[in-house]
Amino acid sequence: MTAEATLTLRAPLRHRVDAGTVAWSALRGMDAAGIASQEVWVEDDGRATLGDLFAVSGAPAARVRLIGDLALMDGIGAGLAAGELIVDGDAGRQVGQRMSGGVIEVRGSTGPLAGGADPGAKRGMSGGEIVIRGSAGPLAGAGLRRGLIVVQADASEDAGRGMIAGSILVFGSLGSNPGLFSRRGSIVAFGAHTPPTAYRYACTYRPPHLRVTLGYLRSRHGVPVTPGQLAGAYRRYSGDLAELGAGEILSWIP
Amino acid sequence: MQLRGVTIEDTFAEAFTMRVARAVITARSPRWAREAALKMTGFATSVIGCKLEAGIERELAESETPDGRPGISVLLLTMAREDLGHRLIERVGQTVLTCPTTCCFDGLPDAPDRVGVGSALRLFGDGFQGSKVIGGRRFWRIPVMEGEFLVEDKFGLQKGIGGGNFLILATDPDAALAAAEAAVEAIAHVPGVILPFPGGVVRSGSKVGSRRSKGLVASTNDAYCPTLRAVTTTALPEGVHSVLEIVVDGTDAAAVSRALRVGIDAACREGVVAISAGNYGGKLGPHHFHLRQIMSGDGAR
Repeated sequence: MTAEATLTLRAPLRHRVDAGTVAWSALRGMDAAGIASQEVWVEDDGRATLGDLFAVSGAPAARVRLIGDLALMDGIGAGLAAGELIVDGDAGRQVGQRMSGGVIEVRGSTGPLAGGADPGAKRGMSGGEIVIRGSAGPLAGAGLRRGLIVVQADASEDAGRGMIAGSILVFGSLGSNPGLFSRRGSIVAFGAHTPPTAYRYACTYRPPHLRVTLGYLRSRHGVPVTPGQLAGAYRRYSGDLAELGAGEILSWIP
Repeated sequence: MQLRGVTIEDTFAEAFTMRVARAVITARSPRWAREAALKMTGFATSVIGCKLEAGIERELAESETPDGRPGISVLLLTMAREDLGHRLIERVGQTVLTCPTTCCFDGLPDAPDRVGVGSALRLFGDGFQGSKVIGGRRFWRIPVMEGEFLVEDKFGLQKGIGGGNFLILATDPDAALAAAEAAVEAIAHVPGVILPFPGGVVRSGSKVGSRRSKGLVASTNDAYCPTLRAVTTTALPEGVHSVLEIVVDGTDAAAVSRALRVGIDAACREGVVAISAGNYGGKLGPHHFHLRQIMSGDGAR
């Protein structure tokens, strides 16, 4: 088994691809033929396989890397329960859909609903970590049940909408209505943002758990955390007060 | 065997298998980490009377702690596994939770045997507590008047060793104390061990049971009491007028053996006649630290 299996996009995608049908957890340790035979659904063209879209090399491996602009590919990492998946480029909608463990690193940006709930479902990802080096589209972590989502650039509107627990850390600006309808969980905002009116200011303090989280992100994922972010003060807003009110937005004070 | 004119007696320290946990206390400054650690390890000299043996293992640099703050690691030992869980909850709850700026982490994260600590203390949060899973480890956030107390959900337990020891037989109390202080200073740099007694030194070594009181589990070790030389079966060589004991608990036999070696080496100085050790004839404790083997480079049997 090698360290990493590589799936290199053969040609730019012209249609949306639904990759939510791929057994992402099982790719770890699967041989090249097995990976290539995984089915996806291509808009307009119908059923296809990963082998039709990607050149597979290095399998079986402990880690899987996708290379290419996958902004039109949805459901990357869907159902991931363990292992590590790296996307060298952008990713489409619903990265980490129904994810319960493991790590997804997107070196570009993601479309809507990263780690978010399926349409009509109440719960999003229930474990694991998604690290987005770029920006996240709307509804990142919507319905988040458990787990960690890190956005190193900006997050669009409705991040953490209806989240139940877990953490979303956004190092850039945060779009409108973060954490609306959330019951529990933490949204940590390092850039520009406005807490919704359903959140109420509680206090300014240094959350002890953030030091552990940020230290972990720096050492495990190489997230460029500054000393000021690590040791700094944060405003705590409790909400959504129309729900349990046990959630929080922690606003870093630069 | 002689070491710088001090006789290393041909005997062994008899030690016991215990259960050990390591608590990592961090705080905003080394001072507050130490304040909590001192309280946590207070009244924890011997399981005979304190239900627990505990001590400060060492100071931790910011780079060594989970939250990047100054810290102190504490070892806590009991005879039974179940007891250690109770003692951890009591001690963390009463001495660390209450101390300003502190957090408390498990210092044995790889130990498969685990006991809930934060999972019990969370109830102090009265429903306002919350948890976070970070890197696969669960932590509880308990709201307190100062802000928040962070404590790890579960702490690892492993088999450790309690009761490693040696006796410093000296010509007078000053010489015994100076040798003991030197030994404690040397052992302070050995990882994986603690010295649970005051300042690391015991003046009241005990024997099992009692001549007079049947219910007493331990009584004075009359064989090593200078004042009783004339009226008991003494173990004291001529010229010995004071004895102090160093008791070492540790995470494993190798750590205890290292501590005994550097401690004995430091204690062999002017005014010390001999180094001995406490044992029960080898019938009670499974770990035997033979002094001469240790000082010649071998470990425990």
